[in-house]
Amino acid sequence: MSAQAATRAPRLATTAGRTVRRTKPAPTLKPLKRDEKGVPIPHVNLIVRDTHRSRLADHYFQTLQDDLMYMTYVHEPSPRKPPRPVRLAYDPNDPYTKHRYNPPLGGNRWSKQLPPPSAPDNIVQLERIQIHSMIKAAAGSRVNLLGPIMALRAITGANEQAGGQHTAEGVQLVKGRKNIQGWVRPGLPVGVKVDLKGPQMYDFLSILVEFVLPRLREFQGVAMEGPSSRLDKMSAASGVVSFGLPPQALGLFPQIEVNFDAYPQPFGMHIHFVTNAKGIGAQNRARALLSGFQIPFTRS
Amino acid sequence: MWSRNVASVCRHRTRACLRAPSRSLASVAETPSPLASSSTSDASTPNVVLNAAVILNRSPILTRTPTLFERAYYAYQSRIRRALFNPFPTDFYFKTGSLLEKKFAKEEKLREREAFGGPWMLKRRKAGPAAMDEDGILIASTDQLENMGEEPVDPPAPRIHEADKTGDVKSLDRAGERNLYLLVRGKDHTGKQVWRFPQGGLQEGEFLHQAALRDLQAECGVNMDTWIVGKKPIAVYQPSLPESTKKALGGELYTFFLKAHILAGQVRPDGKNVTDFAWLTKQEIEPRVEKDYWASVKDILSDF
Repeated sequence: MSAQAATRAPRLATTAGRTVRRTKPAPTLKPLKRDEKGVPIPHVNLIVRDTHRSRLADHYFQTLQDDLMYMTYVHEPSPRKPPRPVRLAYDPNDPYTKHRYNPPLGGNRWSKQLPPPSAPDNIVQLERIQIHSMIKAAAGSRVNLLGPIMALRAITGANEQAGGQHTAEGVQLVKGRKNIQGWVRPGLPVGVKVDLKGPQMYDFLSILVEFVLPRLREFQGVAMEGPSSRLDKMSAASGVVSFGLPPQALGLFPQIEVNFDAYPQPFGMHIHFVTNAKGIGAQNRARALLSGFQIPFTRS
Repeated sequence: MWSRNVASVCRHRTRACLRAPSRSLASVAETPSPLASSSTSDASTPNVVLNAAVILNRSPILTRTPTLFERAYYAYQSRIRRALFNPFPTDFYFKTGSLLEKKFAKEEKLREREAFGGPWMLKRRKAGPAAMDEDGILIASTDQLENMGEEPVDPPAPRIHEADKTGDVKSLDRAGERNLYLLVRGKDHTGKQVWRFPQGGLQEGEFLHQAALRDLQAECGVNMDTWIVGKKPIAVYQPSLPESTKKALGGELYTFFLKAHILAGQVRPDGKNVTDFAWLTKQEIEPRVEKDYWASVKDILSDF
């Protein structure tokens, strides 16, 4: 019935005073071509965006962001004074010294700078998570890197150019830069690393917090320095929180747990949480953020 | 303006939200405590009475229900991802011919058909819609799992709690997707029974955040685990009082609000100062409180 109605429809339309050209049926879709790996090649450049809401990102924007704004607020009733020039600078109005480079005395001292004034725009936020692992055995034979590459791909789901996004770098090899006798040569692959951003980052964080850290034996929390440590050290002012996981932790990731025997050698890893916090005491603000994601911290 | 959280309100109105109240906070903090100021009172320095109030928040316990557009968008992106992803390395994860591999292949077939349809889908649609959860993910029915010789999994709890159906505003399980705030019914500064946030006065030499915790426990009982966020007040309420009331109180009244989270437990009102309590969303709070009180707290409550 419906097919008949469709063929009659143009004749009815002519009665309205216009001629409607008979249209061709839509071409039947051929199956997509496949590349040498068997992956279908789409007709257009597709970019895969988010496929679900990120639970931890929602938690950050609904609860954590407000709390961190209240906790890290520093009251500055008057505008800040401009920094005092350490030494006389070349006069930029003098044509002779106009473009002369004026290096600040003793470097720019970035770790001694005050954090930017409290504003809703610079509330501390997680920017990326970097996981990296140095595999000593890789210096002898680079085949030993295959297991860690597979394991990191399984843990993070990161893939080079995944979803058509050219910024997705996937798991990368870390190569030696210096020549250290009997250990590293320049260009020698010695480890693997992966950078996570966006929903992938939050997925990894939730797995770490809910599956790995609670089951880790003799884990009291991420150790912090004592309260008397300086806040303007480079590590304390860069807004990065780092800690390491022992090789036993690898088997606790659910993606590895299902076929733990398939991986040749468990390995430990370093995890860096990179935030947008800057200036004196930035690491403490980053810790406050991570604590809101339920990563435990202890005083050593 | 439909704002998402307090930070975004501040981003739109930085001057109104951050600058003006913070300046007044600083000037008030300079003034001595009421007891000290009453001893050295003269006409030029007006006395002040400080109160600490607690905005006790229950954060959302459920993820937000996606809108129709969001569901369609995520379903579309999931289909693209499914169509383009690398072939799954079955032999890496399963022993060939194992029961687990068969189970996975069966489930995968189901998910594939659910995403892209097919003749089998038409049959299913006639029979009835598939069981999907809120994010459009297929929930495996119990009989499919029984076929593989496994115990059925309990279905997840419904997103709408019984307290939502009965309209019980005292339950902490109500409105799981929303931010809830504790409102108590008690006397205000004029002695009138009103709905307000739990509050109380400051003792001598006490800080605001200490007073806030003490006053919260005095009015709502100790049967609660709470955490006061930071030591700084986030809002101030200054009622315009007639001279007689000011004299009775001992000076100008300032109520500072501090944010807190409830982690466990429930309110037990003492029945004297506080007779009733309710866990309410921002939109439910507005009709219950006075207009000027609402004006001073509305920007620090979350819209969602």
